[in-house]
Amino acid sequence: MKILIVEDEQELMKSMATYLKSENFVCEEAPDYKTAREKIELFSYDCILLDVSLPDGNGLSLLNELKENKKSDGVIVISAKNSIGDRIQGLNLGADDYLTKPFHLSELNARILAVIRRRHFQGQQILIFNELTIDLTAKTVTVHRCTVELTRKEYDLLLYLAYNKNRVISKNAIAEHLSGDESDIYSNYDFIYSHMKNLKKKLQQAGCSEYIRSIYGMGYKFDV
Amino acid sequence: MRLNNKTIRNYLFYSSLIFLLTIPLFYFVVRSVLLHSVDRSLRSQLREIRSNLGEIRSQADLTAWSRLDKDISLSPADEVIGDRIYTGYRFSPKHREKEPYREIAGMITVGGKTYRLIISSSLVENEDLLGSILLVQAAVLLMLIGGMLWINQKVSKRLWQPFYVALKNMHQFQVNKQTNLSFLASTTDEFNELNVAMKNLFSRSSEIFLQQKEFTENASHEMQTPLAIFQSKLELLMQTPHLSEEQADLINSLDVTNRRLIKLNKSLLLLAKIENNQYQTVEEVEIGSICSRLIRHSRIHAEARNISIHGDFPDAIIVSVNITLIEILIGNLLSNAIRYNTDNGAIVVRTEKDTLVIENTGASTPLVLSRIFDRFYKQAGPAGSDDSTGLGLAIVKNICTLYRYSVDYSFQEGRHVFRILFKRDPE
Repeated sequence: MKILIVEDEQELMKSMATYLKSENFVCEEAPDYKTAREKIELFSYDCILLDVSLPDGNGLSLLNELKENKKSDGVIVISAKNSIGDRIQGLNLGADDYLTKPFHLSELNARILAVIRRRHFQGQQILIFNELTIDLTAKTVTVHRCTVELTRKEYDLLLYLAYNKNRVISKNAIAEHLSGDESDIYSNYDFIYSHMKNLKKKLQQAGCSEYIRSIYGMGYKFDV
Repeated sequence: MRLNNKTIRNYLFYSSLIFLLTIPLFYFVVRSVLLHSVDRSLRSQLREIRSNLGEIRSQADLTAWSRLDKDISLSPADEVIGDRIYTGYRFSPKHREKEPYREIAGMITVGGKTYRLIISSSLVENEDLLGSILLVQAAVLLMLIGGMLWINQKVSKRLWQPFYVALKNMHQFQVNKQTNLSFLASTTDEFNELNVAMKNLFSRSSEIFLQQKEFTENASHEMQTPLAIFQSKLELLMQTPHLSEEQADLINSLDVTNRRLIKLNKSLLLLAKIENNQYQTVEEVEIGSICSRLIRHSRIHAEARNISIHGDFPDAIIVSVNITLIEILIGNLLSNAIRYNTDNGAIVVRTEKDTLVIENTGASTPLVLSRIFDRFYKQAGPAGSDDSTGLGLAIVKNICTLYRYSVDYSFQEGRHVFRILFKRDPE
């Protein structure tokens, strides 16, 4: 899987590349509009992470160009501005998703995977971890071919952990992911404990191995 | 008291004084002039009679003369006295009233006999003349004063018009609103100078205000990137193998603190954006349905502490607002109701006519009403609430101010009650 990161902040780009490389992504970097344009013209990517404010141009016009040339690369727009206008403009121009700075790398990773899966596997999309199977289309979870009844939040939680498998996800990242748009309003993440507890219990009862591990008080890890 | 009336008051006082003083003065002057001329004519008459006395030869002539001339009376005199002029009153059968007369009394000698001669002249005409003159005088003075007042009022009003327009502009000027205030050009230099000075003052204040606002917004924007870098590095740090529990604790603290920093920055940015009026898209929304949705979303937070949320919306409130802002407004109040609640507490959200009421259990003492809407004011809350930015209610207040809603807080029967009246205050 090839990813192009268009981001002018060197340090942020390095972080993104480091996190994504361990997911077996090949990351290319473009620190400015010119480089990004050249790379987009020459190669095609599974997903392009596009920063809106670049030193020599607007990321959205790059997106515009991309769509005019009928390129099928997936695009996630990243902006420091949490403005509805930018978001709507980005999505209208054909972006697959929109992320506001600052974001969690685990969230970015989950979004990239979702975009790639949506684009590449139109039909059945299934994640398999030994006895555990997650059907992304039907949104069902089975253990040893038996369905596990999960609430919406528990399913979201499991999927988020699975997308970031073998990596520590901070409680903050999980809380924000589960709260969605309201994450700015609620800063307390006590609520994730009960969801996590229920999810683990249900999986365990179905005979699933303990994949979800708590890493001290810091976060959780889906170990497979 | 208006400036105009104040000037006129002094004018009026002076005019009335002159008016009251002049009338009697004029009366006495004219009267004495008239009397003087009557006296002169009486004297000359007496002189003429004396010089023509030679014409009268007999007693009979004298009697006939005095009978013919009604203005003359003759009586024999026993003693000789000098000429005397005085004013007397006599009854006039013609006008049936006493009338003033001016008389001169003197001695004449006819045929060796001395007589006392009185020549009189009626003053009625003089009095009439005096009256007429005074009347005309009073009328002229009255017209003069009245006219002056009238002109003064008229002219002053027009003259001061630019001043009053400038004054009105000053009242209407709001530093956070771009309004086009038009001044009235004047032929008076001072007013033109005032207008120029005020225009400069207005534009300067607006400019400074704008710069300040932009600074907050730009600063918050600029902070997003380093915050994002910091957060990403923390996440990478979490992935490093063989972390000890101590290290994990430190990373966790950093993560929590950074999250707070991010929230604080977002809140500041939101405040700046509300003040910069960047939420202009407006649509019609129903408050009850927004509340229901927000309650649904916040259940996961409330259930973690076994807090019940009850929504009841019998009255539909429909408002034209920016949907993001209204969600933040209600969301902030709702999240506060959860954050500052006691475990196993209760929250009731309901509509009452045009008012949204959010009440919750919590601390047993009321909040400090005068301060809760201040920025960075924090009330000591239950454990876990110390992550508050202290900006939630300031944002609520700002959104209410923007839409001219009124928000108030009360403490009733152990419950903290916030009310938002969605009826717009008249400006």
